[in-house]
Amino acid sequence: MMPIIIWMLSVPLAALALIFLLGHDFSRKIATASTFLGLMLTLFVLVVSIADHGVNVAEAYPYIGSLMISLSFRINAVSLVLLLMSSIVLLAAVIAGNPENERQKLSCALIVLFQIASVGLFTSANLFFFFVFWDVGVIAMFFMINILGSANRKNASMNFLVYEVFASALLLLGILLLYFYTPLHSFDMQYIIANASRIPQPTQELIFLVLFLAFMTNMPLFPMHFWLPDAHTEASTQGSMILSGVLTKFGAFGMLMLFAMLPIASKYAPYAVVLAAVSAFYSVFVLMKQTDIKRIVAYSTVVEMGIIMIGIGSLNSFGTYGAVYAMLAQGLGVSLMFLSVGCLKYTFGERDIKVLRGTVVESEFTTYAFIAAAVANLGLPLTAGFVADILMFMGSVQTFGLYGALPLIAMILLGAYLYFVINKSMLSSREHSAAVNFVGDDQHIGYLILMAALFLFGIMPFIILNLARL
Amino acid sequence: MLALFVVMPLIIAAFIALLGNELPEPIKYIALVASLISLALVLVVGFNAASSQSTTWFYLIWYQFQITTSTAPLNMLLLLIVAVMTPLVITYSIGFMRVPSEQSRYYFETCIFAAAMMLFAIAGDFITMLMGWGLLSLASYLLIGFWHGKDGASSAARKAVTVALIGDVLMMIAVVMVWDLYHTFSFAAIISAPAAPAAWLPLLFVLIAAFAKSAQFPFNEWLPDAMEGPTPTSAFLHSSTMVKAGVFVVAVLLPLFAKLHLLNVILFVGIVTTIIGVTNALTETRIKRILAYSTIEDLGLMFIALGLNAVVAAMMLFVVQTFYKSLLFMSAGAIMKANDDEDRIDLVQSGAAGKPLLIATVIGVLSIAGIFPLSGFFGKASVYASAATDMPVYLVLLAVGFASSVYIFRWLLLPLKKPAAQQSRKTANFSFIPMQMLLPIYVLAALVVGASLACLRLPSYLSAYGQAAPLSLIGIAAETIVAVLGIAVAYVYFKRGAKKTFANRLAQELFYNGVFVNAFYASVAGLVVAASSAVDALDYELYRFVKMLAGAVLGFAEMLRHVENGQANSYMLVFLLGILAMVIIFAVVML
Repeated sequence: MMPIIIWMLSVPLAALALIFLLGHDFSRKIATASTFLGLMLTLFVLVVSIADHGVNVAEAYPYIGSLMISLSFRINAVSLVLLLMSSIVLLAAVIAGNPENERQKLSCALIVLFQIASVGLFTSANLFFFFVFWDVGVIAMFFMINILGSANRKNASMNFLVYEVFASALLLLGILLLYFYTPLHSFDMQYIIANASRIPQPTQELIFLVLFLAFMTNMPLFPMHFWLPDAHTEASTQGSMILSGVLTKFGAFGMLMLFAMLPIASKYAPYAVVLAAVSAFYSVFVLMKQTDIKRIVAYSTVVEMGIIMIGIGSLNSFGTYGAVYAMLAQGLGVSLMFLSVGCLKYTFGERDIKVLRGTVVESEFTTYAFIAAAVANLGLPLTAGFVADILMFMGSVQTFGLYGALPLIAMILLGAYLYFVINKSMLSSREHSAAVNFVGDDQHIGYLILMAALFLFGIMPFIILNLARL
Repeated sequence: MLALFVVMPLIIAAFIALLGNELPEPIKYIALVASLISLALVLVVGFNAASSQSTTWFYLIWYQFQITTSTAPLNMLLLLIVAVMTPLVITYSIGFMRVPSEQSRYYFETCIFAAAMMLFAIAGDFITMLMGWGLLSLASYLLIGFWHGKDGASSAARKAVTVALIGDVLMMIAVVMVWDLYHTFSFAAIISAPAAPAAWLPLLFVLIAAFAKSAQFPFNEWLPDAMEGPTPTSAFLHSSTMVKAGVFVVAVLLPLFAKLHLLNVILFVGIVTTIIGVTNALTETRIKRILAYSTIEDLGLMFIALGLNAVVAAMMLFVVQTFYKSLLFMSAGAIMKANDDEDRIDLVQSGAAGKPLLIATVIGVLSIAGIFPLSGFFGKASVYASAATDMPVYLVLLAVGFASSVYIFRWLLLPLKKPAAQQSRKTANFSFIPMQMLLPIYVLAALVVGASLACLRLPSYLSAYGQAAPLSLIGIAAETIVAVLGIAVAYVYFKRGAKKTFANRLAQELFYNGVFVNAFYASVAGLVVAASSAVDALDYELYRFVKMLAGAVLGFAEMLRHVENGQANSYMLVFLLGILAMVIIFAVVML
């Protein structure tokens, strides 16, 4: 079989070079082509996997032999789901995420750079490259906030960077500890998973703590969430879509890896789940005091990531696959929310619910796109969120009984407030804000892509979940 | 699986409506044809399909998630009701919804609403049921808030969807907990399995969710507010979709509730809700809202019957209520249409053009009051009969029967004022009402009468679910006397619009305010907002603490910064001090 992962990585790499060579006029076309090809390659892997009744892609090339670092990649069911989600989100972001048409070259270059990071991170089979791609993603995101963001962007981006660098440093520390305490000194995930039980108990605890902190900062979970609302509020629309849709999944993906890797992790899973539940409830209450729609959506990410963490921490196949599916659903849903909020801001010059009124009159499609995304994130049947919620909570109830289901109460609060926002600013048109701009077809295509994906994976979950069938 | 095809025409029509924004005219007829095809499919496929079919939806590792459809008698009953009501409601809508720009959205939402209820009706397992359940919430939300430019529609929709959301989430919790106990989603398998004692908790959640959906105490207040939606939506929502879902799911799972001793909860909530519904209906002053409280009362009666473990009686009322309630809603909409779309109790109902409409309305009113031989009589009689052995409940039912015949005749008599009695008010224009609105009303009037015959067949059709209590002559006599007494009181009190409300201020205040259910909602919301403020303040303090830590690091750096100030003499000084210190330490150590 051809080296598909190398293709997936080299397409955006070539696109990046082309954007710099050909410049401003072509950048959007190149980025669209790159993300589209990325999606096609992912779909190709999906189709081949369905035909083979299982995902089985692995590629390895020697890199630094003496340090046991090899350029090795693999795609399993989990990474395939996340690859699908990230390629759809990136495609939608390139097509629709920039209604203002500002700084196309830079924003396209950064998205393509982020494409490299996400493909690399989700497919990496080697912790060394996991770390490298992680940082590439963080850097790309930093510039999306720092240069492309709104008024208060410098502050927010530094805040973001401090937290993320803290996470990166801990990640590096954790990886090095793993390297030195595994018998053969290896970065290879497969090898570490097989030999992790031979690491002495106290060291395992230390590694778990360090990596958990790193991943929870990225996810984020309370009390490491302070970077997120500011970063989202200040980032460009594309930046928010990718930040919330894909970058936060780096942490969740790492959590999945961590709980699969260290035997000691199962001992601490209940604590992690309690923390996640606290995080969900805490952030939903903070969310209810916000009036900026973008901040509201940003806090909804913290709520959802808390719930995803509960799925991961229930340590059974329902919870794990539910969490993976929830990452897919939430990634698509939240980026659709950010896209429509960005378009509302572009259309009305405003996104505060105290000012914004009756958006449905002037921009119907955008409003309904936001509503669709909101109800999908709340687990509307026939959207991916429904399947994800069912699976996750089947898993958590299996492990924790009734207490495993209680975090769903946070969903009631989240939903109640989202409906409040929708009814206050969007679906009540006694008075309505005046539009200053109108979004074009590109934005509508973006909505359609994300909505279609949400419903496709909600109605036909078997195309993905059957891959994990025994 | 075959049964799933009954929803297909409606879904296709919904998407045609969505895409056919530019062509408002054909959309409505496409929707009508689709609903008729659905009805035909229900009759052909539904009644011929095997009673339970399942197909694998997806696999997870080893577990199969299935979509199970059931065409057992109970399911078919609801499916048939929805399938019959959908074309009637759409026909009525063709006359009622006249604004071209609204057509596309309206028919999309209505078709989805109907399809969701059909999906719910044929569900044979919890997953399929939950799908219909959740989609109903969304569709009803969009329809209640349909006229978002109207005062109150938006907040009514929000109230409805918030309550529905509580129901949805509790149902989801219940479903995953039930799965954890039984390791299956199938209704049939769970009912036939030995009852797990721990199942009482998830089943209680199912009950609360059903109460939320069916507007039972303390979730009853969203339903009257939902009147802000278009009238055909009200007729649909109150008769066959949405509110019936809660009753239906309890009816399907009733053996489980009986095994786990939860029937008294159902009975109690049913009684409380019925009383609330009746007292509110007696004091309300808008005609659509009176009907809404009447629906709450009807649903309460169904829950009372279910609480007495009488599925057949509950289903009898379930069927007949569909027809008389949608009939009354549709005629209320027609009367309002003739009165410039005003919703007050003292509308005008007169003139030759209004006569057939008036006759149809009277049939519905008599049916609600429970007068033989209209179908309402049989529905109520069977509920009364099931309570015959429980004297307190029976007395409550008789009182409710009396009150409901009072309020429904108040509803009827007040609009009947003669034009002469209402100085300088312009008369209503009944010739304005389009035929598409009148036709479904006449059909429903015929169904209200005809359903009496169906009621005789129903007990044998539902025999698998238990026996109906036999009607006793004394019971029938008591019911009729109470109903006629109510009519007489209403006539004396309200004839020709002599009075609009009751004299007693206290009762008026208490009942009109829905026994302060709304105040209860406000206090819950206030509690949540207070919690949110507290957590937000905590968040602010935490963030300040984090920034203070960062400040401390910076302060330390500021302190340390002076070490490297670039001045050679201070470096020299430190260097000399260092050497001195070294010498001293060296000397001390050596000595």
